[in-house]
Amino acid sequence: MSLSNSWRVFISSNVSKVGIMFLIVIIGASVYVLATYPADFGKRYWNDPTYWADYPKGAPPAWIKYLAGDNPPEHIILFMKEPSSREVYQQGLYASIYTAEFTYNYDDFPSFLSLTMYNITYYNKPPLVIASLTRPGDEEVVFFIFYIPSTPSGENPPYRVFYENPRRVFLSGEAAVWQEVSRFLNDRYGIVLSPSEVGKVGVEKILFGEPVGDVFRLLKGRYVVRVAFIHSDERDTVSYVKFVMGGKVYGLAGTDSLGRDLAVGLLFGFPVALLIGVLTSTLTTTVGATLGIVSGYTGGRTDEAIQRVTDVINNIPLLPILIFLVFILKPSIWLIISILIAFGWPGLTIVVRSMVLQLRSSQLVEAEIALGASRWRIMFRHILPQIAPFIFAQMIFTTPAAILAEAALSFLGLGDPSIPTWGQILDYGFRSGGIYTGYWWWIVPPGLLIVFTSLTFVLLALGLEPVINPRLRSVKK
Amino acid sequence: MGVGKALLVKGITLVIVLLAVLSLIVIVLGATGVSDRILEAYVSEQLRQIRQELSQRIKDPAQLEQAIESYRQELRSAFGLDKPWYLRLPDMVWRVLTLDLGKSRSLTSFSGSNEVAVIVLERIPNTVVLITTAVVISALIGIFSGVKIATKAGSRLDRAVSFLSSISYAMPSWWTGIIFILVFSFYFRIFPPGGMYSTPPPEDPFTRGLDLLRHAALPVLTLVTAILGGWIYVSRTIVLNVAQEDFVEAARVRGLPERIVMWRYILRPAAPPIMTNVVFSIAGSIGGAILTETVFNWPGMGRLYYEAITAFDEPLIVALTFLFTLIYIITRFILEVLYVLLDPRVRY
Repeated sequence: MSLSNSWRVFISSNVSKVGIMFLIVIIGASVYVLATYPADFGKRYWNDPTYWADYPKGAPPAWIKYLAGDNPPEHIILFMKEPSSREVYQQGLYASIYTAEFTYNYDDFPSFLSLTMYNITYYNKPPLVIASLTRPGDEEVVFFIFYIPSTPSGENPPYRVFYENPRRVFLSGEAAVWQEVSRFLNDRYGIVLSPSEVGKVGVEKILFGEPVGDVFRLLKGRYVVRVAFIHSDERDTVSYVKFVMGGKVYGLAGTDSLGRDLAVGLLFGFPVALLIGVLTSTLTTTVGATLGIVSGYTGGRTDEAIQRVTDVINNIPLLPILIFLVFILKPSIWLIISILIAFGWPGLTIVVRSMVLQLRSSQLVEAEIALGASRWRIMFRHILPQIAPFIFAQMIFTTPAAILAEAALSFLGLGDPSIPTWGQILDYGFRSGGIYTGYWWWIVPPGLLIVFTSLTFVLLALGLEPVINPRLRSVKK
Repeated sequence: MGVGKALLVKGITLVIVLLAVLSLIVIVLGATGVSDRILEAYVSEQLRQIRQELSQRIKDPAQLEQAIESYRQELRSAFGLDKPWYLRLPDMVWRVLTLDLGKSRSLTSFSGSNEVAVIVLERIPNTVVLITTAVVISALIGIFSGVKIATKAGSRLDRAVSFLSSISYAMPSWWTGIIFILVFSFYFRIFPPGGMYSTPPPEDPFTRGLDLLRHAALPVLTLVTAILGGWIYVSRTIVLNVAQEDFVEAARVRGLPERIVMWRYILRPAAPPIMTNVVFSIAGSIGGAILTETVFNWPGMGRLYYEAITAFDEPLIVALTFLFTLIYIITRFILEVLYVLLDPRVRY
């Protein structure tokens, strides 16, 4: 059958069409990741908890609000790059004031509040920070007063603080904030709560609500957050200020218990799965088919030797050996791929050998021998093309096995720590008790993506079946 | 070839497989220095006991240290730690074979012992029970429905089953287990999320049995879903292939009743390849059991693997790898015997 003819047979079935469509999705996602993600994504971002500090922890995806019917708070980041006004006070004091306005119409309080300042430059004295929130009804609550620490003497002005890493203040857990809020509660409502009690109730509940009986009721409407830096020199600057209100839902896929955006991690899984699957199946098939052809055609001692080795390796249970080797030799994606290849080829060798035995006695081969063709020429120019479609189908069919093996290994805690995979996301979800607490968005999508990717290759292999010779098909296990 | 010789060849191959795995294990352990670590732990454990005994008798500290040092040298040479690792290989093979791998640092057996052999051996029955139950159930359902579907090849049911079995191939069984926990345990609260018995386990044997069944339901169901799809598909394909043979057609032409054609002319020759497939799928079940036990906290060898990985327990991992291979090879051999008995062609 010619190549274009084969393609026509292949693409005519619905199974193949769906398979091709899925494959395009996988390749598209992989290309997107390769183009936009940094190469050290795993080490630098995914496995660095500080990077995910400002994300809500264990938040379900944002689209659940369409299912639940209420309006859970989304994650809000107010990024203030330029001061909205500069003021000059008496006694040589200046203020740069950063403000941001927002409407809070959700049905629940934010999960946390945080304030981040970056690169504060000053000439004379370190500035003072006063942060306040104007609530609906034009009521301003000062919740945080912060003296920027002065840098050690000996440096020349301008002095800079928080410029290597931004300074993040977790307002919900900051004792100074509890104190301010406790004072506000007393002044405004006459409620006496000690600062630590404020911490227990939650700063966000008090700032975004009003007391009704024993609880706080959410105040919906227009809010303004205001962060003022009081300077003693006109030239003092701040690079940016960031105010974060933690959501109770997040993004397309939610977050895990460390606050990692699962959509980002899941997307990264595509090229990794593709690499593991395709590289392993290609090399396994190459090794298996070559040895099968050589063994079947050459015969004699070579055949005997290859057969014995094949027999032994084919009888080794894969997963225990995989666990043992990866555990002792330290997890790495290349090691996993190498082991999968080293123990994966015998199945194909056995089948290919029996096919080659049949082809060896064909008239074509006898004619070649009579013409004086070399062994290698016969094996790889005349025998290989005849069984190539079958080998190709086998290659596609074994691709999911490698993906599933890596996922299983990662799930057991033996994944490559520098490269996040779907199996590792599941592993972490399982270890931290995600299934027992009902974090379905953490457990279901990675597994679905594994199934989706594996199924793609199964569908392609099914679509290839009519292409390969029916007799060859019956040989397949 | 007689039955004996056929089995002997198979037996020898499987023994070689076991030896190959053993050599692989000890060479990797030796070359990475892990075997040194295991033996050193052994030596220091023994030294601690010796020190306790000696300190009763020898009161002078300097003399005590000297005595212990001489014991240390003696032990080190007894364990071969003064020789390079490759000279110690046969000794190490023997250690693995006899599970003489010392003590686990962090994990203990149900009875409280931290001897590696004790920890591992008492878990074997739990794993064997789980795998056997799942394999038997899948075999019965799989072969029966595979044959049934083969008679209706091309029908809607046939296509649906083919599709389902390819999904079952693409699905990680352990993830299915997690989903089962999420649905049946977390949301519907029908089954417990893991373990083998409730805590505390019921006293009277009948309720105890019921409790075990309730705990085993989800893990067995998980393994069955993982294995079943492939079996239905393979049995169907094999039966279909045989059904297309000329002798089946000839039997039909002779006017034999369909029931006899089915049993005598199709199923009889289809049985051996289906058996072969049973043999191959045992390997898959063992892998599946490791993961399923992990997910359901089933106190078998698979869950122990997970705990040993988490606790970084090298001797346990070695013992488990060896035992899993051993169990696999024994199962293979039993099935080979059955196969030889079932298929006359192997014998002649």
